[in-house]
Amino acid sequence: MNPARSNILSRIRAALRTETPRPLAPTDALIWPPVGNAEPRFRAEFTAVRGELLDSAQQLREFLKAFPKIATDGSALVRQVAGDGTATSREADIGITGCDCLVAQTGSIIVSTRASGGRALSVLPPVHLVIARRDQIVPDLAAAFTLLRQRYDGHWPSALSLVTGPSRTADIEKVLVMGAHGPKRLALYFAD
Amino acid sequence: MTASARQFIRAATAKAANPGHRAILENNIATYDTAVALGKTRYASWENARSVAAQIKWNAVNHLGLYLEQFERAVVKNGGRVFWAETAEDARCYIVELAQQRGVHKVVKSKSMVSEEIDLNAAFAAASIESVETDLGEFICQLRGEPPYHIVTPIMHLTKTDVAALFHEKFGTPLTATAKELAGVAREQLRRVFLSADMGVTGANFLVADTGMVALSTNEGNGRLSVSLPRIHVVVAGIEKVIPRLEDLAVLWPVLAQVGTGQTVTSYNTLVGGPRRDGETDGPVEFHVVLLDNGRTRLLADVEQRDALHCIRCGACLNACPVYKNIGGHAYGTTYQGPIGSVITPHLRDACEWSHLSYASSLCGACTGVCPVRIDIHHHLLHNRRNAVQRRFDNPFQRLAFKAWFWAMQDATRYRVASKLARLAMRSGLALPFLKPWTQCRDLPVPPARSFRDWWRREGRDGPPGRPNSSGAARPAGAPYQQHK
Repeated sequence: MNPARSNILSRIRAALRTETPRPLAPTDALIWPPVGNAEPRFRAEFTAVRGELLDSAQQLREFLKAFPKIATDGSALVRQVAGDGTATSREADIGITGCDCLVAQTGSIIVSTRASGGRALSVLPPVHLVIARRDQIVPDLAAAFTLLRQRYDGHWPSALSLVTGPSRTADIEKVLVMGAHGPKRLALYFAD
Repeated sequence: MTASARQFIRAATAKAANPGHRAILENNIATYDTAVALGKTRYASWENARSVAAQIKWNAVNHLGLYLEQFERAVVKNGGRVFWAETAEDARCYIVELAQQRGVHKVVKSKSMVSEEIDLNAAFAAASIESVETDLGEFICQLRGEPPYHIVTPIMHLTKTDVAALFHEKFGTPLTATAKELAGVAREQLRRVFLSADMGVTGANFLVADTGMVALSTNEGNGRLSVSLPRIHVVVAGIEKVIPRLEDLAVLWPVLAQVGTGQTVTSYNTLVGGPRRDGETDGPVEFHVVLLDNGRTRLLADVEQRDALHCIRCGACLNACPVYKNIGGHAYGTTYQGPIGSVITPHLRDACEWSHLSYASSLCGACTGVCPVRIDIHHHLLHNRRNAVQRRFDNPFQRLAFKAWFWAMQDATRYRVASKLARLAMRSGLALPFLKPWTQCRDLPVPPARSFRDWWRREGRDGPPGRPNSSGAARPAGAPYQQHK
């Protein structure tokens, strides 16, 4: 047995015998202004981070025409809207998945291995399309964690991601470039 | 003076005298400052966000053993393994041996400062295992064979032209390539590496104790690909990264992004809780977490500076620091640059060898002012200075000078004689050779012929300067003393 574990833990115990003063205590002041009406807020935030909203079945059909090779997560909602994809996530032009919820405060989509067909499908193809319902919008991150805990506590998916816009980098002279390693485009269609 | 101190002074002197270098950093940090100021308008109370973040980290650090054991239990329950590493050497050996045992040929790395701290790439190279940095900035650092320049912005010191020249040499792209085209080349190059790698190595922004998850923030998506495609995922993280509850991220994720880049949240905030589960279609089959001490328990035992373990590596104190803005990241010679690096490096490495960094500060407090987890950074620089003196790491001549000053200040006659001698020495130029370290890059105003004490005794009592007094020869109010070079 590696003695490092007990050595480190006993050094921690010895160090913590002396307490340090607490930092300035938080107040009751709100950290963020109220989210307001969740759906319009989500739409505004999602668009601000360069997400693309597809507002009608017609727009969705037009959008999908550009992608011959489609991979899907096989969930009921995705099948109903986009059918079944035939490509693997490695060869697909687009990955279509469901999600756990949408966060109005930040314009984010929460995907997980369970709700979005594994890990690679929502990040490997060059375009990611999410099919969701309006009632999946929650006001803020705190509400999202409450929902996830109710749904998964004790049997969590092995990976979850809070996705906020397409992949980006600003490493070169702080110039914003979309599509670094993950999807270059992120789109969302409400099925209801 | 230690070898590291000499090297620091040499490198800092060269960088500070290079206006081109300063202009690159100024441009980069100005863009950052604009984004951060805009981001702050989203908050009703940024100060309260800092207080909540500081409280979460205080709670975690002051119950560190409890949360680490809870984290370990949860990881094991999720099917992962936890390895405790006391030193950088232990961590390196575990990871490289694991790679060798599993027949790993290629490793993809997502940006991790701890992996820099333990010099993991060199260890992989020594074992003939290819390891590739996938963050665009880190990829460029690796191609250039140099360490990152900044905790968050690894190539802050390079222009687009520099990167285009590098890519031209390595990949034959045109010298006129835009930032978008250069990022596209890196995407193409690294896509092949992602698809063929056997192992993904990532750091951790947070370790969530109650669910046994590793939280990883990246904008590029390289973190997500690193934990999705290879068959083994190894996390290497400092023990101070643990936080109590998943819900803490509702504040920590936005706060980290706000001070890191000015974003509302980072593009991808990922939680990985172990290997692929039964019924899942992809993801690594093995999940290892290496918990690294490497001097952190020493910092924990320093009650005065324990809050330095709150650090979430956001880089804000570097961007705020007038010293960093002038000398850049490489001059420090440390893994962690800037004010927080100057505070923690003497604890993580050797206190004698690295105390000089705590003097590379104007003590303006800008670092403390921007720290999202309320670390008292600039006072810790003072604490390090005091510790260095107490442990006699300081310069013996300086010690003697302070003794002489202390002696002279204790008695009015001694003070008068000493100040008269000092004034004479400075006015005659006799003192100048001794003051060279100061005067070689600064003006030294020549002291007036007469001290304030003398002036007060003879003339000042009769009225404030500027009014005619008994002798009628007072210095007019506001008139400067003569300046000499």
